[in-house]
Amino acid sequence: MNTTSATTPDADLLRAMRNGAADAFSALYRRHQGPLYRFALLRCGSEATAADVVQEAFMGLLTERFRFDPLRGELAAFLFGVARNLILKLEEGRQRHVALPVLGVAQEDDDDAELDLPLDEGGPLARLLDNEAAEQVRRALAHLAPHYRDVVILYEMHELSYAEIADICQVDIGTVRSRLSRGRAALAKRLAGWRTAPHLAQA
Amino acid sequence: MDKQEPPDPLFDALRGEMAKLNAPRGVEKELMQAFARQLPPRRWYQKLAPGWALQRWALAGGLSTAVTALTVFSLMLHNPRLAVDPDARSRALVTRDGGGLFIALESPERIEQEPAPRVVETEVSRSSLAPLGVPLTPENAGDTVKAEMLLGADGQPLAVRLTSID
Repeated sequence: MNTTSATTPDADLLRAMRNGAADAFSALYRRHQGPLYRFALLRCGSEATAADVVQEAFMGLLTERFRFDPLRGELAAFLFGVARNLILKLEEGRQRHVALPVLGVAQEDDDDAELDLPLDEGGPLARLLDNEAAEQVRRALAHLAPHYRDVVILYEMHELSYAEIADICQVDIGTVRSRLSRGRAALAKRLAGWRTAPHLAQA
Repeated sequence: MDKQEPPDPLFDALRGEMAKLNAPRGVEKELMQAFARQLPPRRWYQKLAPGWALQRWALAGGLSTAVTALTVFSLMLHNPRLAVDPDARSRALVTRDGGGLFIALESPERIEQEPAPRVVETEVSRSSLAPLGVPLTPENAGDTVKAEMLLGADGQPLAVRLTSID
């Protein structure tokens, strides 16, 4: 009997995985690694760190260091929450050990959604995407403060609901809505000049 | 229901580009190696645990009744303790795996929870199984069927596996 078809629910795959079915674990990984990797990549700006986050999240699922309860929601949302926490932990460690550089423009005007601080080596300012329009949006996203970036990425890129994002980010729905609004506004502001530039038409 | 705003078209290009990206292949390889270390392949009697047992029971289908009778009978021949246990037959859970035959003599939960199971290899003569329908010819009349008996720490038979039954 095939227990790992594309329609097999996550809960069934998890049960089979815990009973030792390697193909079930592999199916779970293949189903969720893409969105998780893309979230981590946009969130931290480093391919290597994003890969580490994905690996640690699934390793935690395997060892039950991160215990998923199917009664409390979907596995995808749970994994996003795990990835976000892992990234926050990495950022905390980095902030403890690295002196922050003095920035020429620490905050832009009155908008505290902006953060001109590369978070990773080679970080958000290193080019990741070939498409110019996509790369510009990614760079603008990387300049958002992390708590805005989380919400914008999860909403715009992963099409999660306010409630799911609230659960992942451990805030209430009103906070999700306001962070999304402010994050979008900050992005629009940063990209305003670029969007009206002649080269956009060619992107 | 909380009304949600439509996705911002500003992200269209980014969505398209990001959709092409996946975690490096090495991640899956390392995870599968970790899986093999964390959850090594299960022995045959462990596969009779809940979940596996139910699926395999369904596959066994119509064979199960006849095979149960066969197996309990054969075990009685070699294990007097079973002969005095009237519940053994109703408890037996039979599944097929290739040419082998698994018979759980205790509940899957009981087998799963046994702290120190041990496997004893033995043989059952094919002729003793003939009355229950096991094919017997002049050529194989003297053959024996290899069996692995799973015993609990107290010596209680928990399950048996017959190999080369076909």
